[in-house]
Amino acid sequence: MGRVKTIARRSFLVGSVAVLGGVAFGTYMYKRDVKNPLLADLKPGEAAFNPYVKVDAQGVTLITPRADVGQGAYSVQAHLLAEELDVDLAEVRIDPGMPSAAYYNGVLAAEGMPIAATSDSMMARTGRGAADVVGKFLGLQLTGGSSTVPDMYDRLRHAGAVARETLLAAAARQTGLDRDQLSTENGAVVLPDGMRLSYADLAATAAEIEPVQDVTLRDPSTWRALGRDHQRTDIVAKSTGTQEFGIDMVMEGMVYATTRTNPALGGGIQGYDATDAEVMRGVQAIIPITGGFAVVADNTWRAFQAANAVQADWGPSPYIGDTAAQFADVAASFVEDRQDSRFKDEGDVDAALDGADVLAAEYRIPYLAHAPLEPMSVVVNLTDGRLDIWTGTQIPRFVQDGAAAVAGLEAQNVFVHVLMSGGSFGRRLDDDYVRQAVEIAVQMPDTPIKMVWSREEDMTHDFPRPLAISRARGAVSDGQVVAYDLGIAAPSVAASSLGRLGQPSIGPDVAIVAGAWDQPYAIPDYRVTGYRVPPMVPVSSWRSVGASGNGFLHESFLDELCHAAGADPMEERLRLCWHDTSRKVLEAVAEMSDWGSDLGEGRGRGVAFTLAFGVPVAEVVEVTNTDRGIRIDKVFVAADVGRVLDPVNLEAQLSGGVIWGLGHAMNCELTYEGGVAQQDNYHVFEGMRLYQTPQIMVRGLENGDKIRGIGEPGVPPAAPALGNAIFAATGQRIRELPFSKHVDFV
Amino acid sequence: MRLLVAALLLATPLAAQETIASREEGLAAWDRIFEKVSHPRCTNCHVGDSGQPMWNGLGYGVDTVHGMGVLADQTRIGALSTPCRTCHVTADRANTVPHAPPHIDDAWRLPPVELEWLGKSSAEICTQMRNPETNDGNDIAELAEHLRTSPFVAWGYAPGAGRSAPDGTPEDIAADVEIWGAAGAPCD
Amino acid sequence: MRLRVNGTEHEVDVEDDMPLLWVLRDELGITGPKYGCGIAQCGACTVHVDGVAVRSCQLAAADVDGEVTTIEGLGTPQALHAVQAAWVDHQVAQCGYCQSGQIMQAASLLDLNPEPTDEQIDAAMSGNLCRCGTYPRIRAAIKTAAVKLQGV
Repeated sequence: MGRVKTIARRSFLVGSVAVLGGVAFGTYMYKRDVKNPLLADLKPGEAAFNPYVKVDAQGVTLITPRADVGQGAYSVQAHLLAEELDVDLAEVRIDPGMPSAAYYNGVLAAEGMPIAATSDSMMARTGRGAADVVGKFLGLQLTGGSSTVPDMYDRLRHAGAVARETLLAAAARQTGLDRDQLSTENGAVVLPDGMRLSYADLAATAAEIEPVQDVTLRDPSTWRALGRDHQRTDIVAKSTGTQEFGIDMVMEGMVYATTRTNPALGGGIQGYDATDAEVMRGVQAIIPITGGFAVVADNTWRAFQAANAVQADWGPSPYIGDTAAQFADVAASFVEDRQDSRFKDEGDVDAALDGADVLAAEYRIPYLAHAPLEPMSVVVNLTDGRLDIWTGTQIPRFVQDGAAAVAGLEAQNVFVHVLMSGGSFGRRLDDDYVRQAVEIAVQMPDTPIKMVWSREEDMTHDFPRPLAISRARGAVSDGQVVAYDLGIAAPSVAASSLGRLGQPSIGPDVAIVAGAWDQPYAIPDYRVTGYRVPPMVPVSSWRSVGASGNGFLHESFLDELCHAAGADPMEERLRLCWHDTSRKVLEAVAEMSDWGSDLGEGRGRGVAFTLAFGVPVAEVVEVTNTDRGIRIDKVFVAADVGRVLDPVNLEAQLSGGVIWGLGHAMNCELTYEGGVAQQDNYHVFEGMRLYQTPQIMVRGLENGDKIRGIGEPGVPPAAPALGNAIFAATGQRIRELPFSKHVDFV
Repeated sequence: MRLLVAALLLATPLAAQETIASREEGLAAWDRIFEKVSHPRCTNCHVGDSGQPMWNGLGYGVDTVHGMGVLADQTRIGALSTPCRTCHVTADRANTVPHAPPHIDDAWRLPPVELEWLGKSSAEICTQMRNPETNDGNDIAELAEHLRTSPFVAWGYAPGAGRSAPDGTPEDIAADVEIWGAAGAPCD
Repeated sequence: MRLRVNGTEHEVDVEDDMPLLWVLRDELGITGPKYGCGIAQCGACTVHVDGVAVRSCQLAAADVDGEVTTIEGLGTPQALHAVQAAWVDHQVAQCGYCQSGQIMQAASLLDLNPEPTDEQIDAAMSGNLCRCGTYPRIRAAIKTAAVKLQGV
């Protein structure tokens, strides 16, 4: 016990450094203003008041540095700026900008700390403050952890207001009028006589004055777009095939490449015979890259065909290669040596379960692929010591540094142009595919190269969500859940993915228990222990990270305890939940789903709740047990993000999260043989399709004290709510995913 | 039955007429026929009224209905939903890509509803097949002709891309149908 | 060989068996149709050949026997097709990568069947995969588009 507490305290003291790297930093680094990257290429007559707004004679450019992977990040960032700046988003340029330390993520590091979102203690506040310090110190530009809105909410409105006030000051100087006589509207300063000076026309004057920093943010009650239904900025392009994704980039003289590396992960290549492939039509080069080879051709399909014709001599994977053996090692990890954390330890669980009528169960969740529909792809061009990279990524600065290292360049000579991503779900937190393309570019300079992975290459070279096993014990008394002891064993996502980015990870990995240790239940004797499984195949964050599986592990067994107590699973959760904001989402889904009403024969409903990324989400799933299998009829979702900025997108993200969670729970797993992923395309990794999609009713609440992001929190409760509903409808308790191992779905 | 045999005699070339098969030979031929027609390569499409093709015996995963919720409709070509040929294109081209939808040089479709083989016994299919009223109006000669010339049957025996197939060739099953017919198309 | 795409005649010099998808994307620079799986599991590459939805990753160039329409030929940002307008109204897209295919499939469905039932919509659209989970809005947008098209 003492050992665990020591580890926990130490990891807390180093704060997010434990998760996000770096070893020591002085406060001067934090206090020093971060350089505005827009100033670097500013031309005469152009004004950049901060890293987010640039105005020139052509008009306004808004910089939206968080990547859009489908979650609507560009749109919300642009709307945050526009709400203060008074511009029509149809008339401005929206640009993700170039990688810069100025675009550091100031909240993400807190996700790596053992701070419950429900806690407002001094320790918690200190930790969250440290997250900002670490993010800024490291210049950590990263999109993830549903952090864009919480991180950017104040920052972008402030940037928009600074730009507006500076333009007003410029107009005052230009006209000789008093600032208070002027107002702004739709990209222009309006004079008392109604005359309009466009921002573009004010750019030259504005560039000459110091940005006005003393600004007051508008009261949300005066917002015009935020807080109410408005259109996503990319919706027309994405409805007309005109949105350019990373895979769509075309350049003059471009060649088309694909790569193959050992499907037995980490096994390397001992040699290859490209005799047949080299003579195939359109093939220009077949060249070695780390762990495999690349084919360069004049058409992607020709590159794919030629890659199939190369005979490669692959080495054996160094990892535990078979899924049965992988699970065996996870199962062997519930030992003191591998104990990683015990962030939740209330009451005396051992005493409570000693001699009690103990309920115990083991649960399993599989590896899962990200499999975004756009396979990994990138365009690179290395010319005269300058490397340009066009791709969809969540980590532009790591891409820049990684590419620089591969090409032997200074990072300042690497230019990363972030393009729209055709999905990510965490996949684009790695830069492996970019490094491969840069290896090609080094061998073929002065040629734009588009590298596209085949779907099979993509799925067999994913860094999956890790597998896990939970062992749970609990006790009930007088119709109540009184003790819950949950142990979860999984490989560490933090160690694996930070390791690939060249960052250390120290201390416990919160992801192993996220979505389980931090749930707002007042169970008298309540303990959550994380066990770290030694590294197996490399893993990474997958939509909702640790909570993606831990929601299922925690909430399924809690449901078992409720039933064992003879309690209603909704009523008992409400009774146990001490957190007012969380209780209200449970009450909301109870009301929406008419919980307690009779569904009739062969039907059932299940509830689950998970608080992840600071967002409490409750979901009720209704199913029917038909003669051909389980049909998912309806899902009710309530979530509290503190303040809803975009109700249309909130509904989209929550229902999308539900479909993601349900679809993978229904029928997806990634299994390995000899280190080779056995699921290489969607025929064996299907997820949910339209005919299986239930009606989904969504409600966004605003009781929380902080604004939160919604891209991920809808995922964790979906699988347990479905499992709990299947139990209610059939009496069958399924303790492993995917459910299709045990039931059919209609 | 007598009518059918008469029709067979009329429609069959002289050479075949000379070798009227015994009942035993006919039953043995039917057993061989049933072994083929009950293969998933055939029953995945001979599904009857449901209009839902099957994905049985794929060589991976579990046996299940065709994914994506496809329905062939009464037209059997999926016209009012998504035509089969949206994915199963029409092409006189080898099937080489594993797990891709197979194609033939004809519009992909399900067989007529009445030719339901999935889950049916040998006796049920035999009874169905010997009666033109339940076999889409074919006499024995026409059945044999169909087996020899249909691109669906040819594909079923050579589905490509690593798919399993019944043993033999379209010619083998056509010859067995002729033997079976010559023996009076016995079912038991 | 000659291909007619979105009303324009093209002469392309490709292998007979190059899938139409890659002719469109890499030879003609028409990038609306997307590569997602290569085996007709995702539908992101869906185009029309003489009005009927086809997975262009499955159709060899030499087997194209009619006029090809891609999402670019269905409508443009300035002149949206009714299906595209419904997609905008309902804000269907999230990442948007599958939506070219979804829209082409829906347009073909409504062409064949102007008043599809819920079941027919489900059957027609379930070959198109969306990883983001936009299905509820796809259903709603198709109904909106159907009404709009009938009003034309």
